[in-house]
Amino acid sequence: MSTIQDLGRHRYLSQGVPVSGAMDALSAQIANIAVGNPDNAAVIEFTYADAEFIAETDLLIAYVGGGAIFQSGGQILPPERPLFVPSGAIIKLINNPSGSRTYLAVAGGWDVPEILGSKSTCLVAGFGGLEGRALKSGDMLINMQETTSNTQKILHYFEEKLQKISKKYKVDYPGWSLPRQVHLPADGKIIRVVPGNELGWFNGRSIAGFLSAPYIIGRQSNRMGYHLEGAAMERLKNDELLSTAVTPGTIQVTGSGSMVLLMADCQTTGGYPRIAQVAAVDMPLCAQLKPGDAIYFKDITRREAEMLYIEREQQLHKLTIAVQSKFS
Amino acid sequence: MPHKAFKIYYLSETAVTVEFGQQIAEDLLSEVNHLNQLLHEQPFTGFETTVPAYSTLTVFYDPVAVIKSDLPGVGCFAKVSGYLNALKQQVKTAAPVAGDRVVIPVCYDAAFAPDLAEVADLHQVSIAEVIRLHSEAVYKVYMIGFIPGFAYLGGMDSRLATPRKATPRKRVPAGAVGIAGQQTGVYPIDTPGGWQIIGQTPLKMFDRDRGQPSLLKAGDIVVFKAIDIQEFNELSAG
Repeated sequence: MSTIQDLGRHRYLSQGVPVSGAMDALSAQIANIAVGNPDNAAVIEFTYADAEFIAETDLLIAYVGGGAIFQSGGQILPPERPLFVPSGAIIKLINNPSGSRTYLAVAGGWDVPEILGSKSTCLVAGFGGLEGRALKSGDMLINMQETTSNTQKILHYFEEKLQKISKKYKVDYPGWSLPRQVHLPADGKIIRVVPGNELGWFNGRSIAGFLSAPYIIGRQSNRMGYHLEGAAMERLKNDELLSTAVTPGTIQVTGSGSMVLLMADCQTTGGYPRIAQVAAVDMPLCAQLKPGDAIYFKDITRREAEMLYIEREQQLHKLTIAVQSKFS
Repeated sequence: MPHKAFKIYYLSETAVTVEFGQQIAEDLLSEVNHLNQLLHEQPFTGFETTVPAYSTLTVFYDPVAVIKSDLPGVGCFAKVSGYLNALKQQVKTAAPVAGDRVVIPVCYDAAFAPDLAEVADLHQVSIAEVIRLHSEAVYKVYMIGFIPGFAYLGGMDSRLATPRKATPRKRVPAGAVGIAGQQTGVYPIDTPGGWQIIGQTPLKMFDRDRGQPSLLKAGDIVVFKAIDIQEFNELSAG
């Protein structure tokens, strides 16, 4: 499934409107930075490698993530950097087992209407993105005509270079890249969590198991949430939780003791006890998981999670400046 | 006046939850709505939005803006909870917030009410009695959640309490009015659902083109007004 996403719709949570947005916001942001876009520009989120598209005009694009490698005319196109694609090029996604979701940014961002402050696709209510739905074969997308001065500089660099060599039938790109991996822990299967408000509702053995045993991503996993298969959590307290706000990254324990990790399209409220909250900086790791993958949870403090969050934001800001300096 | 228990807990890097209690009660709802209003009138640097629920108000913010702000405390959680604690002191003095009163026309005609006869049978009352009990009550919106524009209403006559359908429907149309357990509500969008459907409103409960997309908000007072098919068609067309 492929959808248009930005960094989410945050202002209408009180009206039950889910956040949506890129599951792997880190990849979406790096792809945007690589083409000079604001980091909230609309990108395409591809799940696995079920797509192929034709460039109807010359295009400046970048792709980042797991799940797919781009290929054009037998040439592998490297990820994590600007790619200048000539008009007429056919780009095919080929399977990349390292992850599941890949993000495609285009100069200016994809041109879809902004609805309730975001261009993200809200699948449950059928609005946002392209006509409120997943992309399908035959769809035509265009990029916003308005671009940043940074994007214009990148375009100018490619155009000048191509004039000199006077051949324009191949995809062109620089030798450097903006690696996603440097922002992430080496082991992508260890997910850091902050204890949830209802952690104390479960017995010590269950909590110890939660923080040491592997959990397997279940088959019924999608943009709303992942089922986590593993030992059932045992309750000390059989209280009912009154429905209250939940957010992507919340791990809920259902009535049977099984766990659900809420993802980008989750409901705004929930009534199951919350054992933990995944650190926002590790949500991109979760976004790349596939059914059958095993993960482990490691607890950190809320202060650590906050500091990691701010550090990530600073890294992305530096990355924007680094790209600017390459073309000025 | 109020305030016994008052707790602030971490939800995520971008949100804290203020918990006023752990039961469904009008005074808690009023405290939630009051703090919500105060916060919108006096936002802190980095404040983004809130989610009011039965007995909690969750406050979302931008940690980068909060950490740079001059709010006292080390870290975003301390800064934001300190601010909310101080703001909460004002809840004692100010007047409670009055919600809007919203009339929702409902057509209980059999054409729109596939489960109305079943509900009447279960409670051994007439269909007219079910309609009367449902449309004479005054409801309060406790919270919006589950799907866009879905209001959790309090105040249904307990004589109408009915279990959900054994097998949920694959599609319930937007505007369908249903009962599930002690709750009644209106489906704002087409969705699969297991509620007993007893009527249909011509109103759009959720409309993304409206300034406030959800017709209802927490704290509103709701009444259902029975209408016939002709009125339903007129309102749908208009």
